[in-house]
Amino acid sequence: MDYPRHPNFLRDKLAEEVRLSIAVLAVLALLPLGISSPYWLGVLIVSMYFAMLSCGWNLLAGYAGQFSLAPAAFAMLGGYTTGLLAYHLDAPLWIGLPLAAVVPGAIGLVLGRIVLRLSGPYLALTTLSFAEIARLVIYNSIDFTRGDQGLNVPGIVDDRTLYYYLFLAALCATVLIVYGVLRSPTGRFLQAIRDDEIGAASRGVDVVRCKTVAFLVSCAICGFAGGLYSTFARLVSPELGIIAQTGLVIAMVVIGGMGTLVGPLVGAMLVYVASEMLRDVGNIQMIVFALLVIVFARFFRAGLWGLARGLLARRRAAASGGA
Amino acid sequence: MALLRITGIQKRFGGLRAVDDAGMDVEEGELLGLIGPNGSGKTTLLNVLSGHLRPDAGQVLLDGRAVTGLNPTRLARLGIQRMFQMTRVFSRVSALDNLLVCGLAMGLDEARASERALQLLDELRLAASMHLDAGQLSGGQKKLLEFGACFMSPPRIALLDEPFAAVHPVMKEIMSAFIQRRNGEGQTFILVSHDMPVVVDLCPRAVCMNAGKVLADGPTQAVLNTPAVIEAYLGEDDSAEAGHG
Repeated sequence: MDYPRHPNFLRDKLAEEVRLSIAVLAVLALLPLGISSPYWLGVLIVSMYFAMLSCGWNLLAGYAGQFSLAPAAFAMLGGYTTGLLAYHLDAPLWIGLPLAAVVPGAIGLVLGRIVLRLSGPYLALTTLSFAEIARLVIYNSIDFTRGDQGLNVPGIVDDRTLYYYLFLAALCATVLIVYGVLRSPTGRFLQAIRDDEIGAASRGVDVVRCKTVAFLVSCAICGFAGGLYSTFARLVSPELGIIAQTGLVIAMVVIGGMGTLVGPLVGAMLVYVASEMLRDVGNIQMIVFALLVIVFARFFRAGLWGLARGLLARRRAAASGGA
Repeated sequence: MALLRITGIQKRFGGLRAVDDAGMDVEEGELLGLIGPNGSGKTTLLNVLSGHLRPDAGQVLLDGRAVTGLNPTRLARLGIQRMFQMTRVFSRVSALDNLLVCGLAMGLDEARASERALQLLDELRLAASMHLDAGQLSGGQKKLLEFGACFMSPPRIALLDEPFAAVHPVMKEIMSAFIQRRNGEGQTFILVSHDMPVVVDLCPRAVCMNAGKVLADGPTQAVLNTPAVIEAYLGEDDSAEAGHG
């Protein structure tokens, strides 16, 4: 039989998603040309913050099958790393921001080792406990963190459009990092672990190392997103780490397409922009998203991206059938 | 020196002695049939050999080196590859990627792993399904895929747990022919199976276990004719009846 020399189906699927991710990022790059409202620019900036969290969480939950409930907590830890360094030590942001990735990454590495043998609800509960403990420690360490008053964090620039492009650059870097992990053998191993951990170990996959890498990268991405967001908001408070924020991240990933590269990007932008549009109707927005998550988890497990892919495949099949 | 030396392996689950002082030598290039009634301890012994269970006592030597209690990852990398009774494939990645994962994990570079995966898919007649997610394959195809995954990097020893169970005769034939071919090239196997005609056909030597113990070890036909083995399979009364009949 004749085969392509290096057939690589996973890479082909990934390449398709990369092209779409680039298209989404290109659209985001063009949006400020048509949007002058500082309010809507702010909404899009926060959407990109959530897109970074979604990409980070998706690497861990969607690709590695490690269902953590702490992405918002790691964003809060990143925000506090930047904030505390600036508040107590007057550390410049070029030190504070990289450390917003390093410190949560290191904490994630330790947490990853602790929860190594846990899966499913046990892993979810342990990471939820960690998230709540971290939030309560910050909330109650008033002398050090100023508790629920939060900390003032210096901004990077004053211009909102510049901030927009800073977030876009950070989001591009996030997508690139996730793509890099997925393209490496570790990315394949993570998906094998997600599907069958015992089977993966039996084939020689170093499960401990791969899970640790997934925790480290995911937590570092969330931490950096939190650090950058705190400079935009000029404030970091324990509110950043509440479980409702994690719920929003999960909704974004499930609706966009879990275990895909482009899904979390699309999901985060759509869900956050929609939540802003529904702001006037109050808390009903969370009910809407919760219902959507149930519908997607039950009927469209591949999310919006899976739906779009299915439609495209049907259209291609119809076109080739017609021709 | 035996390729694999198993001595005095014991494994208890509560009050049950699943493996009780089991021992055997497996020589390089041998195709050993491991037989016994259900619950005799065959799969538990394979679990000990592949690192999925830590024995309570006993020792496993691979090439003279103690490997007892090492984890499955290390044992796989040392060349002990295992096929499970309940199929274990990576259901949300393609058949091809299932094999690539195994090749990369065993240290092959991507080009070599691709080449090897294609050879195996062709040899196991799975090439037409290589782009399907493993979860979409039939039960028999999943078994073939997992079987192939053991050979992405030629193992020192392949432990096959019921590879022929609930498999279409054509696929059984593909696997049997593959095993014979590889064994002819010097590949060592331990084959657990209830399919006696296949065991007789493939394995020159067999070990029969019952209640965790090794009952008989020797040429396959001789083992099958051992009274204790007949009794283990048929039960005391039935074998007595058979004997008197």
